[in-house]
Amino acid sequence: MNTSLYVPGNTPLHRLPAGAKFGVLFAAGIGLFLLAHPGVLGAAAAVAAVLVLSARAPLAALRARLLPVGVMLAVLFAATALLQDVPAAVVMLLRLAALILLALAVTLTTRPADLLEFFERLTAPLARVGVADPERISLGVSLVLRFVPEVFRRFQEIREAQAARGLKANPVALLVPLIVRTLKAADDVADAIDARCYPPPRRPSGGARTEENPT
Amino acid sequence: MTAPAGPAPGSAAEERPGAAEPPAPVIELQGVGVGYDGRTVLSGLDLRLAERRIGVIGQNGSGKSTLARLLNGLVVPDEGRVLVDGRDTRTEGRRVRSEVGFVFQNPDNQIVFPIVAEDMAFGLKNLGLPKKEIPGRVAGALESFGIGHLAERHSHLLSGGEKQLVALASVMVMRPRTVVFDEPTTLLDLRNRNRIRDAVDAMAPAAVVVTHDLELVSGYDRVLVVHDGGIAFDGAPGEAVAWYREHCS
Ligand SMILES: Nc1ncnc2c1ncn2[C@@H]1O[C@H](COP(=O)(O)OP(=O)(O)OP(=O)(O)O)[C@@H](O)[C@H]1O
Ligand SMILES: [Mg+2]
Repeated sequence: MNTSLYVPGNTPLHRLPAGAKFGVLFAAGIGLFLLAHPGVLGAAAAVAAVLVLSARAPLAALRARLLPVGVMLAVLFAATALLQDVPAAVVMLLRLAALILLALAVTLTTRPADLLEFFERLTAPLARVGVADPERISLGVSLVLRFVPEVFRRFQEIREAQAARGLKANPVALLVPLIVRTLKAADDVADAIDARCYPPPRRPSGGARTEENPT
Repeated sequence: MTAPAGPAPGSAAEERPGAAEPPAPVIELQGVGVGYDGRTVLSGLDLRLAERRIGVIGQNGSGKSTLARLLNGLVVPDEGRVLVDGRDTRTEGRRVRSEVGFVFQNPDNQIVFPIVAEDMAFGLKNLGLPKKEIPGRVAGALESFGIGHLAERHSHLLSGGEKQLVALASVMVMRPRTVVFDEPTTLLDLRNRNRIRDAVDAMAPAAVVVTHDLELVSGYDRVLVVHDGGIAFDGAPGEAVAWYREHCS
């Protein structure tokens, strides 16, 4: 199954430039954390859900993306309800749900290449003053893009394997192997990145001169 | 018997990465010992690898991947040293890795960027290649594996066989002098296994191939059997496979 974050399409959200979508997402993120009224947060979550639906992604694709998030939200909700109280847990749940749905609406409708380009442009000024390295940032963003769908896929594999053995859905039993496997994959990817001579030499000035950095 | 090392039949590629056929670098292991968390995996290894096609076989957990990783400095020895053309992998790891490419078993973990062409460009940027030379090199390498049409595709949505070819191309585009493969065909079906086998047989750089697929190494120049913390057999493919079948099954 296709578990990549992006689902091709031609909806209004798809046509909106990546920068605009991320701008709104960023502003909404700040807004959501300043607000604490359950009604307002609930409305925001509802709007976000409508946006996700407007991307016209196949329902199966949405289910695959939302199920693991749902499990994690359930765990967080239960933990917050126990450690604090139920109203606090409701606020937290609605706030995160709204944010996650908005982020999903953006990633569902933005081509990975556009996303990368947007981040590279965004960080170009920082790079000029030497604060950030756009190559590094684009590598980081790519890694997030590649890992998120994989985490979804693994989540499903583990759930199916456990269901096949008659285990009931148990968040801890799901999350532990999920985390272990994801860390293992991250290790392998780190090796693969090393094997291809990352990082590039300081100033990409042309020569294949490589500085030594012993491991 | 020598594996066919000339251009692949039917892959009429002008821009074949490394078509000049550089001599294989000499990889030397001197008194190498390595382990994880105090448990020894390999010890007392003395090896000199210079053949064009070298196979490595052995049981699960015998240390084949560890040996492979020693060759380009992904793992550095606890004892002794590994030299690639005289360069110590401990102090010149990055330089060694620019000459010794590595193809992993699972291409999913090897492909980093979402679009095939971007992933191919990654290694070239790391080598410090000028930006304007990169697209040409990438296109040439993809063509030489017959996968030019995949350039703009999403790398993580490709089939397993296509992914492994992309992973191989992304290493070959860097023009290494030798490529280490850790079970490159394990996750593939027969047809794709044969595609990878042919690509490996035909490629210009030297190759060290770790595999459980005993037939894969049958035409190689030399085959090592890893067993009991060391190289238990080192010789021609036929004898090595026979030794392995007798002692390890
Ligand atoms: N990163 C690591 N940390 C701890 N132990 C490790 C690590 N990598 C390998 N090992 C252990 O070292 C031993 C040799 O592993 P290695 O992966 O080299 O074997 P292998 O011959 O490649 O096996 P396989 O055929 O299953 O791939 C195994 O016992 C393994 O559990
Ligand atoms: Mg292995």
